[in-house]
Amino acid sequence: MTSELKPVKEGIFEVGPPPRLRGAICPECNQKFFPRPMVCPHCLGELQDVYLSTEGKVYTYAILRVKPPYKLPRPYAVGWVHLEADGIKIHTLFDPEKLSDLDFGRQVTLRVGAIGVDNNGDSCLRYYFTPQVGGEQ
Amino acid sequence: MRQVDIIGADMTAFGPQIETPLVELGARAAIGAIKNAGIKPSQINIGFFANMQAGNITGEFTVGQNILWEAGVNRIPVFNVENACTSGASAFNLAWTSIISGMYDVAIVVGAEKLVVPNLGLLQAGATELNVLEGGVVITNFASRANLHMDTFGTTKEQLAMVAVKNRQHAGMNPLAQFRKPITVEEVLNAPMMADPLTKLSCCPNADGGAAVVLCAAELSNRFTSKPIHVKASVLVSGIYDQLPDLFKFEEDLRAGSMAYEMAGLGPEDLHVVECHDAFTICEIMHYEGLGLCPVGEGGRLVESGATSLGGKIPVNPTGGLLSKGHPLGATAVAQIVEGVRQLRGEAGDRQVEGAKVYLAECMGAEKFGDAKTCTIIILQN
Repeated sequence: MTSELKPVKEGIFEVGPPPRLRGAICPECNQKFFPRPMVCPHCLGELQDVYLSTEGKVYTYAILRVKPPYKLPRPYAVGWVHLEADGIKIHTLFDPEKLSDLDFGRQVTLRVGAIGVDNNGDSCLRYYFTPQVGGEQ
Repeated sequence: MRQVDIIGADMTAFGPQIETPLVELGARAAIGAIKNAGIKPSQINIGFFANMQAGNITGEFTVGQNILWEAGVNRIPVFNVENACTSGASAFNLAWTSIISGMYDVAIVVGAEKLVVPNLGLLQAGATELNVLEGGVVITNFASRANLHMDTFGTTKEQLAMVAVKNRQHAGMNPLAQFRKPITVEEVLNAPMMADPLTKLSCCPNADGGAAVVLCAAELSNRFTSKPIHVKASVLVSGIYDQLPDLFKFEEDLRAGSMAYEMAGLGPEDLHVVECHDAFTICEIMHYEGLGLCPVGEGGRLVESGATSLGGKIPVNPTGGLLSKGHPLGATAVAQIVEGVRQLRGEAGDRQVEGAKVYLAECMGAEKFGDAKTCTIIILQN
């Protein structure tokens, strides 16, 4: 079933397996971006497609307790993951089944799954990061 | 550079005003500010109107012309300005620029918003932005910062709550504030949890309201008033968006602040009273740090010390701030300027900071890649 659902936004990830986020790199500035801008915002040069690393560390997070947007689970967690290998921090959903495992610096792994609905109200796929339980702090 | 004064200021009460149309909210403030300035509407050369959500909520546009017509102002250039929570300060920055450039002598800035709308829901940045699609809402953005600030610097939930308690106590001295009944730290902590650690009383309420100021070239202002308020600095910056944000500090405050202090020839130690964008309790603590009222990381301890309460070393948000006065987006940053005028004229009533001579207003709005999209700082002196 999952494979029939569309991503919440086209072009930002590949479902896989393995799931991968589609970023971009400027070969001149050696800087990565997510999501992909039109051109490099530093030099206005052409960008190359690049897959971002599928592992990172929780930079910070928040748990929303009130009625969620997009029929997301209640509660759910969002926040920021530091993709150290790529040199960027990205905003993300976290695994709604593992809120209690979230912590600063916790290793997390990329997943793609059916969570909530899109702007048209249709069920859709979203990317999220799940904590590696017992993972390095 | 040409100097600019504020010669008139007025605002409506903030809070639910369901029966009052947007145009009336803005026009009441505009009429009040024009009368307060002792000026004729025909002596105004250019007008700016700040609003954020009317296009979304009621489908209105070019509202500024309607408001200014009600206040007797027509024919002149009128601009409608949207820049999130800083819309009002952004409009002010344009008005100030139009006068220092020598192009115009007298400008009016009006901000108004109607935000008390049934079933409005949580405010989101925009339905096509990726962080919104991935579940980011305004409050999770600031709850994430609060959690990181607590983890990094040892800021406590109680210190966060003290911001709400202080601003409510201040609001009790402001007849125009939305919420004036005192609250306690325990009440803030035990209020319904929105996004940990922010409870309902840690968040500013939606409000309706309007505010307006009249600016004038300094060499002309004594024709109209004996109490001109001097604009020492007006700065607006946007974000860097390098995708490596440090979410425990407001980089935009630090950058805009140093520009504003340099422009004014003043520093944080010269300030007597401050209003800042306390949309959530954590914001005020981080603005203390961004504006140099204390080092980065010390904001929680600063509020706990009482330094930012009325009667303290540097009172912050004597009006009650967004947290208790309310946050009618487009009016918010203009109302901060109105408070500056009242404090520096000695007209702030029970919340007057004795002998206030230097006032700073900070506002911040929207977010992209963890950076604020807009940050404004205005420094006024009497």
